[in-house]
Amino acid sequence: MEILKPYLKNNISSIIGAVITVVVLAVSSLWQPRLLQNIMKAIISDDTTAVKNYGVQLIVLAVIGIIAGIICTYFSAKIAQSVTTDLRADVYNKIQTFSFGNIEKFSSGSLVVRLINDMNQVLNLIMTVFMQLFRIPILFVGAFVLGIMTIPRLWWIEVLMIVCILALSGIVFSKMGRFFAKFQKWMDRLNTIAQESMQGIRVVKSFNQEENEITKFTTSSDSIQGLHLSIGYLFSLMIPAFTLISNLMILLAIYFVGIGVTDHPSDLAAIASFISYLMQLMFAIIIGAMTMMMSSRGLISLGRIKEVLETNPDVNYKKDVPKKDLDGSVEFKNVSFSYPNSKEPSLHNISFKVKSGETIGIVGATGSGKTSMAQLIPRLYDPTKGTVYVGDSNLREVDEASLRRTVSYVLQRAILFSGTIAENLRQGKRDASEEELRWAAEVSQAAEFIDRYEDGFEHKIEERSANLSGGQKQRLSIARGLIGKPKILILDDSTSALDAKSEKKVQEALERDLKGTTVFIIAEKIASVLQADKILVLDNGELVAAGKHKELLQTSPIYKEIYDAQVSIDNKKRGE
Amino acid sequence: MSDIKKSLDYFAVNLKKYWKGLLLVVVLTIISTWFQVKAPTYMGNAITELSKYLTKYLNPATRSQASLNYFYNALWALLLFNVMNVVTMLISSLWTSRINALSTNQMRIGLFSKLQKMTVRYFDRHQDGKILSLFTSDLDNIFNAMNQAIFELISQAALYVGTIWIMFSLNVKMALATVASTPLVIIVALFIVRKARHNIDLQQEEIGKLNGYINEQINGEKIIITNGLQQQSLTGFKEKNEKVRKATFKGQLYSGLLFPLMQGLSLLNLAIVIAFGSWMVVNDNIEKAVGLGLIVMFVQYSQQYFQPITQITSMFSMLQLALTGAKRLADVHAQPEEKINSAGRKLTEIKKGVELKNIHFGYDENKEILHGLNIQVEKGKMIALVGPTGSGKTTVMNLLNRFYDIADGEILFDGNDINELNLKSLRKNVGIVLQDSVLFTGTIIENIKFGKPEATYEEMVSAAKQAHIHEFIVSLPEGYETKISDADSLFSTGQKQLISIARTILTNPPFLILDEATSNVDMVTEEKIQKAMDNVIAGRTSFVIAHRLKTIIKADDIIVLKDGNIIEEGNHQQLLKEKGFYYELYTNQMVFE
Repeated sequence: MEILKPYLKNNISSIIGAVITVVVLAVSSLWQPRLLQNIMKAIISDDTTAVKNYGVQLIVLAVIGIIAGIICTYFSAKIAQSVTTDLRADVYNKIQTFSFGNIEKFSSGSLVVRLINDMNQVLNLIMTVFMQLFRIPILFVGAFVLGIMTIPRLWWIEVLMIVCILALSGIVFSKMGRFFAKFQKWMDRLNTIAQESMQGIRVVKSFNQEENEITKFTTSSDSIQGLHLSIGYLFSLMIPAFTLISNLMILLAIYFVGIGVTDHPSDLAAIASFISYLMQLMFAIIIGAMTMMMSSRGLISLGRIKEVLETNPDVNYKKDVPKKDLDGSVEFKNVSFSYPNSKEPSLHNISFKVKSGETIGIVGATGSGKTSMAQLIPRLYDPTKGTVYVGDSNLREVDEASLRRTVSYVLQRAILFSGTIAENLRQGKRDASEEELRWAAEVSQAAEFIDRYEDGFEHKIEERSANLSGGQKQRLSIARGLIGKPKILILDDSTSALDAKSEKKVQEALERDLKGTTVFIIAEKIASVLQADKILVLDNGELVAAGKHKELLQTSPIYKEIYDAQVSIDNKKRGE
Repeated sequence: MSDIKKSLDYFAVNLKKYWKGLLLVVVLTIISTWFQVKAPTYMGNAITELSKYLTKYLNPATRSQASLNYFYNALWALLLFNVMNVVTMLISSLWTSRINALSTNQMRIGLFSKLQKMTVRYFDRHQDGKILSLFTSDLDNIFNAMNQAIFELISQAALYVGTIWIMFSLNVKMALATVASTPLVIIVALFIVRKARHNIDLQQEEIGKLNGYINEQINGEKIIITNGLQQQSLTGFKEKNEKVRKATFKGQLYSGLLFPLMQGLSLLNLAIVIAFGSWMVVNDNIEKAVGLGLIVMFVQYSQQYFQPITQITSMFSMLQLALTGAKRLADVHAQPEEKINSAGRKLTEIKKGVELKNIHFGYDENKEILHGLNIQVEKGKMIALVGPTGSGKTTVMNLLNRFYDIADGEILFDGNDINELNLKSLRKNVGIVLQDSVLFTGTIIENIKFGKPEATYEEMVSAAKQAHIHEFIVSLPEGYETKISDADSLFSTGQKQLISIARTILTNPPFLILDEATSNVDMVTEEKIQKAMDNVIAGRTSFVIAHRLKTIIKADDIIVLKDGNIIEEGNHQQLLKEKGFYYELYTNQMVFE
C-alpha cells in the first residue's frame, strides 16, 4: 500500500468524498432497524402520527442511502481511474529508463504481465477498498453497539455469533486459500499440456500419440476435478452453516425475549430490529472475510509493481555533460564484464583499439563473448572493470543522445513494430527524408521487396511482423540501423537469415556508401568477415588474437581451427 | 440452428449423464425453498403469540390464563423449518458441487479428445492462442456460471415464486406493497446492467489497445534502448493511457453501481413495506398482536423477495459468457474429424517403395499449389527436395503423412492407395523430423520415448547415442531425468533437433520425411546434426526437404521444385551439368572465397 500514497494524495478530495459517503451509507443502513423499533413501539402505543412520522423517516433514510451509494461509487471510480492510470504511466516511465540488464533481470514477458494483469488487480483492489473495506468496520462496530443498545441483556448472543462466524470463516477461508493456490498450479499444468499438444500436433499425430496425450490430459484434469470437489464441498458446507448459525441466534434471541418479556415488555418492539442487527453483523464479517481474501491478490500484484518502481537503472548517463560530436574510433582498456545475474565473467581483461572507418570482424564459438563485447560499445551495459572509449571519450562521460547518434546497433533478433515500413525505418532517424529511406533500403537490399509492394514504404507491417519473412525483417532492421549514417555500426549476426548473395551485396553497399563508418560485424561464419580490416578472435571471453585474415591463419591456432572446420565442410559441398 | 439452441444442446449433452442427480437437486431445492419461505410465518406467529401473552399478562384479569405454550410451539416449528431448510440446502448443494465438478471435467476432457481427433488443417487455420482460450476462457466461464449462476438461478427462481405465493396468501395488501416497485426496479437494474456492459466493453477495448501497445513496446524494448526511442515510446503510451483513463471511469462507475444501487433499492423497498404495514395496522384497526407479527414477517419477506432480483441481475453477464462459451465449444465439437480408416488395409512394412502420381493440391480450393507432381522412390533410396521458399516442398510432406488429403492424383505405398490405408498404420511407417523441433514439458526420457513409451531404457539410450545427444544429456546433473520444457533454454535449437531425431530413431519407421532446419547453429552442433541425420537416414527410404548442400549431395535423386512443378531431376553431377536452376542455386550459395 505504501507506494500508492503519492497517488492517493492527488485524489484527496475524492477520497474524502468517498469516505464521507461510505459513512453515510453505513449509518443509513444501521439506522433503519432503529426506526423499525420506533415504529413498532408506536404501533403498540397506537400513536398514529408517530407511525406516519417514522414511516416518512424510513423512506427518506433509504433514499439518502441510495444517493450516498451512487456518489460513493462515483468517487471510487474516480479514484480507481486516476490512481491506476497514473501508476501505470509511472511504471512505464520507469521501464523506459531501464538498461538491457534491468530488462533481462525481469524478462520482458514479466514486465508486460506486471503492466497488464497486475495493474488490473490493483484497479479491482482500489474499487473494493473504497466501496467495501471502509464500510465493513463501521457496519461491524455499529451493528454490534446498536444491537446491544436495542436489547442490552442479550449482548452475549451477539458475542456468541461473532465467535462462531469468525471461527467458521477462519477455517473455511484459510482452507480455501490453500485449495486455490494448488488449483492454480494444476490449472497451469493442464493448460501447458493443451498448449504443447496444439503446437506439436504434427508430432503427436505422426507418432500416433493421440491416445497417450488424452490419457496425460485426463490425469491432470481428474486432479483438477478432485480439487473442484473439495472446494465445492467446502462452499456447500459454508453457506448452510452460516444460515444455520444466524437462524439459531435469531431463535435464541426470540426465545430469551419471550421468557423475559414480562419484565421487559418493551423488548417486544425491539426484537425485529435486534434481529436486523444480528444479520448485519453476520454480513459484515462474511463480506469482510471475502474482501480480505480478494484483496490479498491485489496486494501481491501491488508488491510486484513496487519491485519495478524500486529498481534503479543500472546504466546511468550523466546529465550535465555537453553534447559531443564523437568520431568512429573505439578503444577497450582492460575491460572485464559479467552479466548482472551471473558470477561467471563473460569477458576477461580485453584491450584493443579501432580507428575510425575500419571494418572489424568479431568471430568465436557460441558463448565466447562476441555479443557481450559488442554491447559495451553502445553502453547497453557498463563494464565491470576497465574503460570503453568511443571517439576518445570515456563512455561514462558521454550523454545518451550523442552516443545514440554515434553508435547504431543492429540486434541479432530483428524486431519491428506494427506500423508502416517508413515508420519503422524512421526510428533510426526521426526526420529521414524519402531519399534517405530509399538509400537505406537500397544499402540493406530491402528495396527489392519494398518496391514490389504497391504502397512501397507506406506498406503496413502487421503485429509480430507476421507478414514478413525472417530475411525481410533482418534487411529492414539493418536499414533502420544505418539510416542515420552512424559513425559506428554494429551488425550482430544480423545477416543470418540472408542468403550468401544478398549478404555479400549488403557488405559491398556498406563499403561503398558508408565509407567513414566504423563497422563491426559479428559472424558465425568466417566467410562473412574475410574482407575486414581487422578480425577479433574471442575464446571463452578472452581476446586471443587480432589481425587480418591472412595473418590470423598464420598466428592464431584457434582461428585456423574454426576456419578449417568451416572450409572442410564447404569443400565437401563443392567437391565430388 | 440458433446460437442459444447450440449452447443449450451442449449443456444438455454434457449433463445428460447426471439427470438423476439434477432431478434430486431440483426437488431438494424446491423443498428447501418451501421451508425457507415458510419459516418467517412462524417467526411472525411467535411474535404474535408473545404479544398476545403480554397483553393477557399485563391485564390482571387475564393474567392467570396467560401461557407461553403457543409461543413455544411457534418457536419449535421455526427451529424445525430452519433445520430442514439447512439440511435440504446442504444436500442439494453438495450434489450440485459434485455435478459441477464431474460435468466440467467431462467437458474439458471431451474438448481435448475432440481436438486430438481433428485435422491438421484445423490447427493450421486457427491460432494456438484462440484454441487455447477454449480451455482458459470458455471452459472457465462455463465452470464459473455452473458454480455460481445456473443452479443459483433455479433456487433463486424458486425462492422468488415461493415468496410471492406465501406473501399473497398471508396478506394481499402487504404483498402488493412489497411487489409494487418491482417493475421500476427491474427497469433500473436492466438499464444499469446494459450501461455497465457497454462501458465495460469500451473500457476493455481501450485497455486491449493499450495492452497491445505495451506488449509490443516492452518486447521490443531493446530496439527502443539501442535507438534511443524512449521518449517516442512514452508519447505513444501516454496517448493510449489517457484514453484508458476516460474509459475506465465510466466502466468502473456503471459496473460498480449495480451492487450499491440494488442494495439501496432493497432497503427502500423495506422502508416502504414497513411504513405501509404500520400505517395499515394502525388505520385498518388490525389487532395489534397480529399486526406486529405481520410486520416482522414482511420485514423478512421483503428481503427474501428482493434477493433473487439482485442475484439474477448480477448473474446476467456471467450467464451470457457461459452461453457464448458453450456455443464456441459446440462449434468445435461440430468440426469434421480426421478420417482414420480403421477398417482400412494395414501397412506393415514398405517392400517396394512410394510413388506420387499426378498430384494436385492446394490449401484453398481455388489456389492450387502443386500442379501434377510425379515422384517415385524405391525402397532404401533417399530423395532430396530442393527449391525456393513457397515452391511446395513442405506441402509434399503434409501429403505423405496424410496431414492433408490430396485433391487429385494418387499416392501409393507399395501400390496401395494412401486413402485406403489404415491411418495409424500409415503413420507408424512414416516417420517425420520437423524443421522446428517440438519438445514437451517432462523429462528427457519422456521426450525421447514420446513415440514409443514402452521402449526400454537401453533402447532409448541407444537412440540418443545414434542422434549424438547422449554425451550432452549425461553431462547434465540429472542426466536423462532432467526436466525440460519447450520454453526453457536448457537446449539450443540444434540440440532440440537432435532430441527430435533421437525420438524418430527410436520408433524406427521404414519411411522417413525429414524437413531440414534452416537456423544457424554453432559449428560443433552442426557437425553432430550432420552425423545424426546420416544415422537416421541410413537404411531407410526417405524424403529430405533439404536446405544444406552437404545434405543434398548425398541424395540418390534430387528433385528441384519451383512454383509447384518439378523443373529438374537427377543426381548432383547430372544437375550441375544441366546448368539450369539447380546450378544457379548451387553457385549462389557458394560464395565462399
